[in-house]
Amino acid sequence: MRSKRFLVASLVVLFACKPPTPAEQLDSALSWVATARMAGDAWLQHTTPDKYTRQTLELSQQTLLQLGTKLLKSPVPGVDSASLDSLLTRSRGHIAQMAALVTAKNSPGFRQQLDSLISDETLVKQFADSAESKQ
Amino acid sequence: MKKILQLTLGIITSVGGFLEIGSVVTAAQAGANYGYKLLWAILLGTICLIFLVEMSGRLAAVSKHTIVDATRERFGFPFFSIVMLGIVAVAFLVLVAELGGIGLALQILSGIGFRWWAIPVSIIVWLLMWKGTFGVIENGASLLGLVTISFAVAAVKMHPDWGGAAHGLLPTMPGDGKAKYGFTAVSILGASISPYLMYFYSSGAIEDKWDESYIPMNRIIAGFGMTFGGFLSMAVLVAAALSLQPRGIDIEKFEQAALLMTPALTRWGFYLFAFSMLFACLGAALEISLAIAYFFAQGLGWSWSEDLDPSRDSRFAFTYTIIILLGAIPLLLGIDPIKVTMMSMALTSATLPLAIVPFLFLMNDSIYLGKHRNGWLSNSVVAIVILISFVLAIISIPLEIIGG
Repeated sequence: MRSKRFLVASLVVLFACKPPTPAEQLDSALSWVATARMAGDAWLQHTTPDKYTRQTLELSQQTLLQLGTKLLKSPVPGVDSASLDSLLTRSRGHIAQMAALVTAKNSPGFRQQLDSLISDETLVKQFADSAESKQ
Repeated sequence: MKKILQLTLGIITSVGGFLEIGSVVTAAQAGANYGYKLLWAILLGTICLIFLVEMSGRLAAVSKHTIVDATRERFGFPFFSIVMLGIVAVAFLVLVAELGGIGLALQILSGIGFRWWAIPVSIIVWLLMWKGTFGVIENGASLLGLVTISFAVAAVKMHPDWGGAAHGLLPTMPGDGKAKYGFTAVSILGASISPYLMYFYSSGAIEDKWDESYIPMNRIIAGFGMTFGGFLSMAVLVAAALSLQPRGIDIEKFEQAALLMTPALTRWGFYLFAFSMLFACLGAALEISLAIAYFFAQGLGWSWSEDLDPSRDSRFAFTYTIIILLGAIPLLLGIDPIKVTMMSMALTSATLPLAIVPFLFLMNDSIYLGKHRNGWLSNSVVAIVILISFVLAIISIPLEIIGG
């Protein structure tokens, strides 16, 4: 009986998938903003095909939406979650615009959105650094 | 002359067939997250693999037994069935990951999601198995896999810090995030020391009718082929450390890995990555399907040979047909192949003792190997690496699961 309880407890501990911490989610958000930026740079240099670029930008946008929702529910300690949410929302907007501009093959407009995303990336990095220093 | 040709082809195919989704994804994640710090794990895994592959060929050449039938004969069916259960379950997960890898490569090339590729890819793999011979599977896909040499070109073109890379060959532990670091190391070891490779190699030696005169050739193929293959894995890690880590990109999805070579090789880099993954995963999917079918056929005493017409070894052919069909199901359901890859590589490490310990017993048995049985060096290297992988796996897998 005791061994059975131990087995059940061990399995519960083993498979109790705790979600990533808010700080890890913020790092993930930074990684996806950086991915969108790298994919954007590559597209402007004619390195990647349109379909791949659009899909990657859409994936970045969707993932950032999910991460933003999670970060609102469980904020990163010491980080102004309202400001972070508005920053991530703005970044998503730039990425969505970039995806649309790939379809339209509008390079100048794409470059403008990419520049704005680069500014946002710097700010997300500041949030991530500040969260890391407070850990 | 024939042996020189076989030797050359053996080394080339070992290099071309070395990388697969597991080795690429684990090395790329390691490079993107930890820079050069996990190069030691690839080095350790490659050294162990050189010994294991050499042993697999030697066992077949001397005893005319594959690992599977020798294990069943030496340890009896009840023990063998436990080994079979563990190894086949993990090999099946690796097959799902490889089929998914082909689908993902086609997805980034065509824009059509990997789920849509699950059935066509499975049919192509099955057709190649059904119609192909052992030579086609062993050499054809691996020769196409030589495109993976582009990872080495990309890494060198990005001017790595060779001193830093050399430092990464020595094991270190990070200050924080030990669970994730350990899990990545375990996954790299699992990707390097895949038991299916040993079963495939020893069965191949029987298919190619090796005898004791092949022992020196086997040693050279294992040594050179695996060493060059290990360098390719290291090149993936170095390329990721130089292209993704400075940008803060962690590889969670395949789309992120696709950018790995673009800073060095621009447009070529994107397509070379896609075709590298396509051919590497195709080769691995064929080898794993074959290895699983060999496992069942040799373990259960059925007739088997990839060179026979399927009507002459119908149970063997039926096994790979079912395995490939089942492998497509998780992909049709949309399960992320990258997640399957990471988990299957870590589980490979955890189940290594199950495959390697009985194998070491066989390799020290004079009934099978006579004067060609293992020396202390082979035994020690393999035992130490397996112990390290197992300990790392049982510590880091639960920690990583708990940590999400």
